[in-house]
Amino acid sequence: MRLQDHPGSSLYALVGCALLGLLLLALPAAAQEAARAPEYRAFPLIGSRLAVWAIAQLHLNFAAFILGVPIFAVIIEIMGWRTGEQRYDWLSHEFVKLTFAAFSTTALLGALLLFLFVGYYPRFWAYMSGIFYPTFSVYAMLFFLETFTVYLWYYGWDWLSGSKKWIHVCLGVLSNLFGTAILFVSNAWVTFMTSPGGIDEAGSLTSLWGAINNYTWMPINIHRLIANVTFGGTIAAAYAAVRFLQAKTDEERARYDWMGYVGNFVAISALMVLPFAGYYLGREIYAFNQTMGITMMGGFMSWLWVVQAILIGILFLGSNYYLWLGMERIPGSERYRRYIPYMIMILAAGFIVWATPRSIPLTPSEARIMGGTHHPVLGVLGVMSAKNTAVNLMILTTFLSYLLYRRANKESVKPWVGTGMAAQWLIFAAAATVVTFYGVYGYFVESIVRIGYSVYQVLAVLGAIALVMAIDIPMFRGARSTGQIRWGTIAPRSQYVLILLAVTFTWLMGLMGFARSGIRQHWHVYGVARDTSVDAWTPALGYAANMITIVTAVFFALVLFIFWLGGLGEKGKAEGHGHVAPAIAGGSDP
Amino acid sequence: MRVPVLVKVAVFALVVMGAYTYYANSIPQLRSEPPEELSLEGGNVTPEQLVKAGEGIFKGKGTCEVCHRIGQKGTRAPDLGGIGASAAKRKAGTSAKAYLIESLLDPGAHLVEGYPNIMPKVDRPPIGLNRSELWALTAFMESLGGTVDVKLDDIPKTAGSAAGGGQVAELKLPGDPKAGQAVFMGKGGCIACHKAGSVGASPVGPDLSQIAKIQTPEYIMAKILNPAGMGTVAGYPGGVMPATLGQTLTAKEYLDLVAFLLTLKGEGAAPAAKK
Repeated sequence: MRLQDHPGSSLYALVGCALLGLLLLALPAAAQEAARAPEYRAFPLIGSRLAVWAIAQLHLNFAAFILGVPIFAVIIEIMGWRTGEQRYDWLSHEFVKLTFAAFSTTALLGALLLFLFVGYYPRFWAYMSGIFYPTFSVYAMLFFLETFTVYLWYYGWDWLSGSKKWIHVCLGVLSNLFGTAILFVSNAWVTFMTSPGGIDEAGSLTSLWGAINNYTWMPINIHRLIANVTFGGTIAAAYAAVRFLQAKTDEERARYDWMGYVGNFVAISALMVLPFAGYYLGREIYAFNQTMGITMMGGFMSWLWVVQAILIGILFLGSNYYLWLGMERIPGSERYRRYIPYMIMILAAGFIVWATPRSIPLTPSEARIMGGTHHPVLGVLGVMSAKNTAVNLMILTTFLSYLLYRRANKESVKPWVGTGMAAQWLIFAAAATVVTFYGVYGYFVESIVRIGYSVYQVLAVLGAIALVMAIDIPMFRGARSTGQIRWGTIAPRSQYVLILLAVTFTWLMGLMGFARSGIRQHWHVYGVARDTSVDAWTPALGYAANMITIVTAVFFALVLFIFWLGGLGEKGKAEGHGHVAPAIAGGSDP
Repeated sequence: MRVPVLVKVAVFALVVMGAYTYYANSIPQLRSEPPEELSLEGGNVTPEQLVKAGEGIFKGKGTCEVCHRIGQKGTRAPDLGGIGASAAKRKAGTSAKAYLIESLLDPGAHLVEGYPNIMPKVDRPPIGLNRSELWALTAFMESLGGTVDVKLDDIPKTAGSAAGGGQVAELKLPGDPKAGQAVFMGKGGCIACHKAGSVGASPVGPDLSQIAKIQTPEYIMAKILNPAGMGTVAGYPGGVMPATLGQTLTAKEYLDLVAFLLTLKGEGAAPAAKK
């Protein structure tokens, strides 16, 4: 172990942990104090709400990154361990190095957020701690366990190698389990604010488990877990992109081209299932409270989903574009380029449908000219039937892009290749038909029935992905190569696509955070603890967008600074922890 | 001059975020305001004023418009066009007024065929209408094809008891109602605008003769200290009530005044005066 690699980082993390621990232990006294304190205090200059908003969003961004990246880092480490390929071990170490540098900042931001709640929202915090106090000690314990496990995992990379590698992998898995448990505990607090449970009509606790296991707890757990992986993938890919653009040698360019590809691959894989987790969350919000669900989708927040649709459309288009650019560095990919225009058409059409609003706020004269608030033709595309169909077809198309990329330099030598290919096309066609059928049929049934159709559409797409891959893997096993991937030769603009994806996803996270918090409107805890502060109003999208942009810019500035700090210890070295950076140029397959 | 990669990346990222921000600012801006409490404590409102206030609740705090339409079939909830007349025919032996009130307080009791049981009880959080608001909303619905005849006393006393969200604890104030009446008539200057049972007769502000029956102690206390922040009673001009009582009254005088107001339950003469 070489503890001197990140001495500053270690110190900050320990200080952060100690602060958090002390603060959590001091909470009963703080809560008693809060009961006598005024309901609110005003944060200087910007006000309490903006202060909490900024710190909460920053904390969430960092937390998502340090929880998401280790999930796929350990999977990559296992791949390296089982296949014996050193490059995977190096890559896993690179990813963990990134999260390690951000660890202490996450802890410090968390402590700062807690200070803000205790200091500026004392009554609210007294109420929340009255409900969740028993979970605070669990959270603190998990935080310590997570910290020490990650330290062991990172610093034990060389020490636990060779025959002891399995212990190292177990540490990686363990740190992920602790990290996920931390996520679940803190999700209980935040989801309770949206969909409180386990309390009586007066807001008094009747069941702690009921408060934890509220309507939106499990959907948010799943949604955040998947989104964290996507987010981690995009940030890691953006890091690789910057390193690619800064690279002085072909070897370095090749290494970071590959790293960017893997980061993006992870991000797309998780992104494809994210909408399904979103539907689950939406359904549970409706199940908890119809009014809240309707306010979210059809009330003052309805325009937010148009912005969200555009961002997700950019993510899908960007991911596909990156894959298509990547195919240019693969000999033999020319065979598949003819499909690209059709895929662009499907993606663009899906994008347009998803971004079409259902109803438009109009002046009475405008509404008269259009014949109502719904456009006579385009309004039809604004409902969930059309949008579910569009997004499922976009996911299928993205999967097709990946499939073509995967086989770009391969020619199957299996005698049943023709049948296999035909079966794959048939599966694609069947899935697209099921998705379209239920999309159209959804217009003719009640909404409660229509919601159920989205499950069939999702199952058709997921089933198609599983079946196609089940055929593809054996079909291309031992395939003839048409040439090796020329890592490092990808067009530089592809790296800006990776940066675009990272910025877009981070901005999208800020937007979704606003949506999750904003649907409570003038309630701290929906229907239980009313917001009576001067900030009880819920801002419009423009105001929220300004705030999201400022925080996202600060986040990236901090990330750059932290990565720069993290890299200081290894300045001038092509290795970390004795890890020789692998030569990848012109080398191997993904 | 060669531009460093980090500068190019930073500019690119800022342009991307700038584009998203510009777009989000260019679409319709809808801001959600916390609903104001409506108080009709004096009871001296005309049916027209009541219907108008009810319409405001229908479109605003009540969030009824999210699902219901008037004169147009909704997908989530029935059309309320003509409900003032049709409500009387919905359940034998039940008047339109009783049917409407029961539908607001216990929506599951009168489900319209073909619609799911999704309507929340409107006097409970998060909508949390108080009795005054329920009264006005019922009047508005009666006005849709029917006759407005609902009285405040038609709204159950228990309705809206948790309207503010969270429990409303029974307050035991240490104030002296008799001393409070003196503050009402003297230092507080309330009598210049308000009637309170047998005390005062000014029509400038709402009649407070039954304020204790129709408002919570919390509302009364807050209204004295922050009149503008607690909303203005329909039909009365805003901004008239002074916001300085919190500074001019001593703590004891304030508590005495509240204690006096809490005795006003519409039984004619002010109880404090009877003692």
